[in-house]
Amino acid sequence: MPFSQRQKDRFMDAAVHLVLFVIMLSMLYPFYYVLILSLNKGTDSLLGGIYLWPRQITFENYAQFLNDPHWYQAFLVTVLRTVSGTVLGVLLTCLVAYGLSHRELLLRRLYFTIIIFAMYFSGGLIPYYVVLRSIGLLNTFGVYIIPSMLSTFFLLIALSFFREIPVELKESAHIDGANELVIFYRIILPVSMPLIATMALFMGVGQWNSWLDSAYFVQSDGLRTLAFRMMEVINKSNMPMDAIAVANSASAGVTSYSLQVAAMVISIAPIVCVYPFLQKYFIQGIMLGSVKG
Amino acid sequence: MAGNSATASVKANARSTNGRQALFWKRFKKQKLLHLFVGLGIVFLLIFSYSPMFGILMAFKDYSISSGIKGIFTSEWVGLAHFEEFVNDYQFGTIVRNTLVLSLLKVLFTFPAPILLAILLNEAKNLRFKRFVQTVSYLPHFISWVVVVGISFSFFSADIGVVNKALMGLGVIDKPLAILTNPNYFWGLSVGSAVWKEMGWWTIIFLAAIAGINPSLYEAAQMDGAGRLARIRHITFPGMKGTIVVVLILTVGSILGGGLVGSNFEQAFLFGNSINNPTSEIVQTYAFKVGLKDGRFSYAASIDLIQSVISVILIFSSNAIAKRTSGSSLF
Repeated sequence: MPFSQRQKDRFMDAAVHLVLFVIMLSMLYPFYYVLILSLNKGTDSLLGGIYLWPRQITFENYAQFLNDPHWYQAFLVTVLRTVSGTVLGVLLTCLVAYGLSHRELLLRRLYFTIIIFAMYFSGGLIPYYVVLRSIGLLNTFGVYIIPSMLSTFFLLIALSFFREIPVELKESAHIDGANELVIFYRIILPVSMPLIATMALFMGVGQWNSWLDSAYFVQSDGLRTLAFRMMEVINKSNMPMDAIAVANSASAGVTSYSLQVAAMVISIAPIVCVYPFLQKYFIQGIMLGSVKG
Repeated sequence: MAGNSATASVKANARSTNGRQALFWKRFKKQKLLHLFVGLGIVFLLIFSYSPMFGILMAFKDYSISSGIKGIFTSEWVGLAHFEEFVNDYQFGTIVRNTLVLSLLKVLFTFPAPILLAILLNEAKNLRFKRFVQTVSYLPHFISWVVVVGISFSFFSADIGVVNKALMGLGVIDKPLAILTNPNYFWGLSVGSAVWKEMGWWTIIFLAAIAGINPSLYEAAQMDGAGRLARIRHITFPGMKGTIVVVLILTVGSILGGGLVGSNFEQAFLFGNSINNPTSEIVQTYAFKVGLKDGRFSYAASIDLIQSVISVILIFSSNAIAKRTSGSSLF
């Protein structure tokens, strides 16, 4: 009897690992597939039959990406908005949270009510559009950065993080005559690196992936983001008429489809490189957020 | 006498209010930098969160965008005319059905998936393998929907999709499946891709709940001869119950946006096209089209408002139900 129990357990173990392996494969293979597709000659990819490795290796798709002003410009805009949006977002959100983290702060109740109410209710897209239009943010680079500078979600996470910082750290600086801005910048930020890493990851990924704001609030061609450009191609090629991607003229076997695939890989690559190293932090971060509701 | 003491106490009161005010300002001045920091955030919210709330008025008015922000207040009232127009629109039934079906299907599948994955991961004995699978499973969460739809395109497209090519090559089908365009596939495609993208991410919360279970419970159960499935049923699952309720409340509250995985709009917008439109057009995409594309701001705002009001009601009622039935709630 105990023997058969052990056999059953072994069978269960094998089954669990097998199912997990299949799940893992289903998540990895799509990324691997677009990678090999991006390294294959575009016109050759259209024939199909590529499953495990590229058939005609080429870097032409990436070269074409950099040469195409549309894609290249979108790439630059995306890098720029990711860097500036993340830095400014982390700074403002932390600054507000730091102010609120003082328990003796007057009017704290009022400030909190204003913040929590804004978390649950919104005016909706159309009135938001009208506001952005009337303050002149429509069709500017600023629309990518300024409205998203304050994240109420991360504000609450930062708040509970700052409250854990020992008061003695601040007090010694107070005695030395430093004002709150200096304390924030010299003492609070340096000891909050795990928090900042998590916030920067999420804000950065949000900025990097963003296309809705480009679709809603921007018309100018030069301000398009990478994700928006990919969205354009998808919108066109979902239609069966255009589905067979037409070869770009004057290029070595690059099709609009293979160019799109290269763009996707370029969009995925930085995320793959960054997120595994921040795993420990964001797991803590999301737990903190979920406890606070 | 009585009058005298009354005036005296009024005077004393006035003096103490004055004193309190003075004290308040003194303390406020000391904290002025902190108030400046917080004030920045408050001004920010007033501009980007609160001022759009007044814009809701336009749902009951005939607003034209050329009149700017002032027009929200000065334009003519039309009562519920826009709401009536939406309800009487020939597409109304289809749009509402699509929104509800898509939302329900997504919650039905995306809610249990991470719970199952968390249980599976918890059962995996090989820790390095477990950690690797976990890390991989987060990856899709960080990728934009645009890229996910792009990847789906390279897998499911009728002309170049690897799935169609493979199935044709194997002789399973002799005509490519129009997964991306046939209206019958849209819901399955959306639900499947949502599970694929967000399953690993939400596993984090459930794994943390499992980590909080006292290991001696498992040992005791094993001594009593409880098998694997019995341990999952009687220890792991009850240990996750509180977390499951909280996540369920959040899910129901946000159901019209697609539950916790959200993304109804993105999926309908990106996977949607004129051919699968009969199943892919939802309230949000419709509001976007008539609002920002056709410039009918008041009409779109009224459609938006219907959806937000239903969402708020859902949040509060699911919270109340959870409070009554299980004692766990958000607020």
